[in-house]
Amino acid sequence: MHLVVCAKQIPDPETPPSAFKIDPAKNEVIPAPGIALVLSQFDGIAAEAALRIKEAAGDTKITVISMGAESAQQAIKQVLAMGADEGVLLQDPAFDKGDPHTTAKVLTAAIKKLGDVDAVFCGRQAADWDWGVAGILIAEGLGWPVSIIAKGVTLEDGKVRVQRVIEDGYETVDLPLPAVVTVSNEFGEPRYPKLQQIMQAARKTVTTWKAADLGLDPGEVGAAGARLKLERLYVPEKEGKAEIMQGDTPAEQAQQLVAKLQAAKIL
Amino acid sequence: MSVESPAEGRPRRLVGGWWTPAVGTSVLGLYGAFQLESSEGLVRHSFFNDVAPPGAVYLLLAALVGLLVYGFMRHASLWMIGQPHHQSMLRDVPQRMRNAMRLGLAQDKVRRDRYAGLMHWCIFSSIIVLTFVTAQVALNDDLQLNFLRGNYLLFFRFYGDLFGLIGLIGVGMALNRRYFQDYHRMRWDERLEDHLIIFGLGLILLTGFFTQTMRILVEWIPAHEDWARYAFVSYGFAKFVELFDFTEGQILSAHRFMWWGHVGLAFSWLGLIVFSRLDHMFFAPINAFFLRTDSPGRLARIENIEEREVFGVGQVQDFTWKQLFELDACVRCGRCTEVCPANIAGQPLSPMHLIMDLKAHLSAVGPSVQHAGHTGGDTRAVSPVAMVGDVIKDETLWACRTCFACVQECPVMIEHVPTIVDMRRFLVMDEARIPATAQQALENLETRGHPWRGTSLERTSWMEGLGEVPIFDGSQEYLYWVGCSGSLVERNLPVTRAVFRLLRESGSTFGVLGQEETCNGDPARRLGNEYLYQILAEQLVQTFKEKNVQRVITNCPHCFNTFKNEYPQFDGNFEVLHHTEFLSGALKDGSLQATHRVDASVTYHDSCYLGRANGVFDAPREILELVPGATLTEMRRSMSKGLCCGAGGGNMWQEEVGERRVNHVRTEEAVGTGAQQVISNCPFCIQMFEDGVPAIQPEEEGRIRPFDIAELLEQSVFGPGGGEAAQPVTSTAGAPD
Repeated sequence: MHLVVCAKQIPDPETPPSAFKIDPAKNEVIPAPGIALVLSQFDGIAAEAALRIKEAAGDTKITVISMGAESAQQAIKQVLAMGADEGVLLQDPAFDKGDPHTTAKVLTAAIKKLGDVDAVFCGRQAADWDWGVAGILIAEGLGWPVSIIAKGVTLEDGKVRVQRVIEDGYETVDLPLPAVVTVSNEFGEPRYPKLQQIMQAARKTVTTWKAADLGLDPGEVGAAGARLKLERLYVPEKEGKAEIMQGDTPAEQAQQLVAKLQAAKIL
Repeated sequence: MSVESPAEGRPRRLVGGWWTPAVGTSVLGLYGAFQLESSEGLVRHSFFNDVAPPGAVYLLLAALVGLLVYGFMRHASLWMIGQPHHQSMLRDVPQRMRNAMRLGLAQDKVRRDRYAGLMHWCIFSSIIVLTFVTAQVALNDDLQLNFLRGNYLLFFRFYGDLFGLIGLIGVGMALNRRYFQDYHRMRWDERLEDHLIIFGLGLILLTGFFTQTMRILVEWIPAHEDWARYAFVSYGFAKFVELFDFTEGQILSAHRFMWWGHVGLAFSWLGLIVFSRLDHMFFAPINAFFLRTDSPGRLARIENIEEREVFGVGQVQDFTWKQLFELDACVRCGRCTEVCPANIAGQPLSPMHLIMDLKAHLSAVGPSVQHAGHTGGDTRAVSPVAMVGDVIKDETLWACRTCFACVQECPVMIEHVPTIVDMRRFLVMDEARIPATAQQALENLETRGHPWRGTSLERTSWMEGLGEVPIFDGSQEYLYWVGCSGSLVERNLPVTRAVFRLLRESGSTFGVLGQEETCNGDPARRLGNEYLYQILAEQLVQTFKEKNVQRVITNCPHCFNTFKNEYPQFDGNFEVLHHTEFLSGALKDGSLQATHRVDASVTYHDSCYLGRANGVFDAPREILELVPGATLTEMRRSMSKGLCCGAGGGNMWQEEVGERRVNHVRTEEAVGTGAQQVISNCPFCIQMFEDGVPAIQPEEEGRIRPFDIAELLEQSVFGPGGGEAAQPVTSTAGAPD
């Protein structure tokens, strides 16, 4: 079997908001020393799902692919350390500033170039922009079935059995191979790599493919191909106001509170 | 432990050590002997009563020596399956000799339990002196040296009896503790050998006395009763036996019986050395010699970590030979377990049982490992059980606070903490088996350079409202190292600010690294991720060197210990001060004045890494003395006996498993002093108390309040209006009022 894990490197979502600065003119996040680049948490979980299938099925190769800057090698190495076999970085200035659609187009092209892929695992969404559509768009590009927000993934009789999270529980669906699955945090924590694997991963070379390697026209990817236009990027202002109810007794204070709430049409 | 504070290092010897009473009483006895008008004609008759052919005892001795050598070789061959030890035993030999004398011969640690110390001294000195007595008899009789005569023979009789009596007192104390007091530690791992050893020793001493009693009755009392009185214990027995009209023949038969009983028991008992914990009489002083000569706070560095195949200790042969030797030195006294914070809180760790389990495992698989090693087999495939996981459970290893209480108390100088961390290293790096919350802390260290997941603070948040905060550029004298807890945990910001303001007030030049600070790696090392630790440490040593850092002040004892004791392993040699040391110095030289009264009753909690690991017990107490109005009440467990707050060894980031939480136990002790404030010196301790107080004192009124000593001093230096409140305070929730 050949499984593909899509991994994205993102600015640390746990960065304190005060460290998060935005350039309003360029509609860009300003990289600051306090912001680390990390593997999107859901992609780590997707890798965990693929690894468990590999452990159950045996004789399986896992390739991790990532579209991003040179630094995204780190994210790839992290998945390699967890136990993936090969890594491919999709890096080209032409890919920059795209939208989920162009990202999916690049990833789809890479998966097609890999050839013999049986299943693709993505995180339910990238933890920076939270679109949650790349997996679906990849499936569309490949013409494969897709199941999203999985809390469990197993291989049963040559099919992928997915426990799909729904509002009040989960439903179980079987997908014929090849297929695309996006994995949710309900699946469980990704494993902590063994040191031996970290060192092996550090020694592995990550293949880099550019637009030309994928047979993609620079005009159809990145900013040029994007259909989505970012109008404005801003940090929402948070405002808090506290008012202490006056009054000599708790009853008086409560009355005042009721009056205020009624005036604000909350009650 | 090699590091002792001045207060701890003060001699606490019982009447000045084991030799003082021996010399004192001997001089008295000698004086008495020479007061006799004449002891002419007094000689020791060899082979009195023809008890045995001359060679018999030597045959027994040869058998004993053979047995001891065989036993030693058997043990030693198992130690040799271990790895080379990190410290050469040929280095620091003078210090090692001192340790062997002080901790081995003079038994400094044994006396930390006063009752056991006295008991042990009695037995120990008795065995030493009576062995000397026996050796003299052998020299006198068998080499015909005939020096046991005249006044010396009287003196010899006197101290022989004296130390026999002292030995019996020791045995009595031991019997009392084991069988009458039913002392708790005696029951934790009681074995047949324990009864054999103590009853055997008692019988040896009694048969010795009885042999002499019979001899006196026949040989001395009829001829020269005044001479006989020097053997004052035997003489007493003799006078008692005289009450019954035994014939001389009966007495001589009894003598022969007692003599053989004495000799037989003595040799059997000495043979027990090979099969029981009696081997500590050799292994304890030897292990004192082997004791590390550097700080106990330093963990060994794994050299060339990238080239290793096994990380840490997963199988028994991965320990160093010294760690294996220590297993044999253990006497199961249970002192380690008694003081272990995890054990006190009912959590799954008993250092004594850990050592005993490892020892049993070594005996079980050691010979096969050794055999596999000799025959070219796979030594790693020998053990049918996993040492880490089956023999020693994961949760046992994770419960350790690396607080050194066990190491501090161990009378045979076992170092449990490095042994535990070595197995953690295997768990984390080889097996990647680690509690989820600890894993998150490690992942946070890897990606964000600090262990505090989900903090909403930045490394510079504490600076707001303090005016200009100088950034260290190499021109200042000190680097003030704030640390992750000092900058990213809300509760500790007021401490950081207090230290900063006191440093500024003292007039010293200093700077901070601000945004450039990253974790120095301590949590990673204590949690067993040595690889991550080395990466972080190497980076930071590099940064310090580039910035020309010479002297560092930290407000965290863990950072302090890491910089001071562990960075030299990475060629990072800096002068490191904890803020308590700096502040007490500044108060003494007058650069800081604690002028305002702070009327508060306080108790002081020694953090493990400032206290036990680095011996700083006095500096913080000096500060407390210099703060007018503050009155100190010590907790029962304080100084080197202090109890951990529960956060050490990476337990800050773990869920506790067990009956209670360690911080609740410690908070209870602090509350028990009746003090209004519990003062500490460590951001982790403060957090643990903040968490523990509401659990122990649900009523808000009258709660004890945890503060860092810098916060207390800040009030005294700047006054009630000049403290934190007088500053344009920003978001410092949790700040003291």
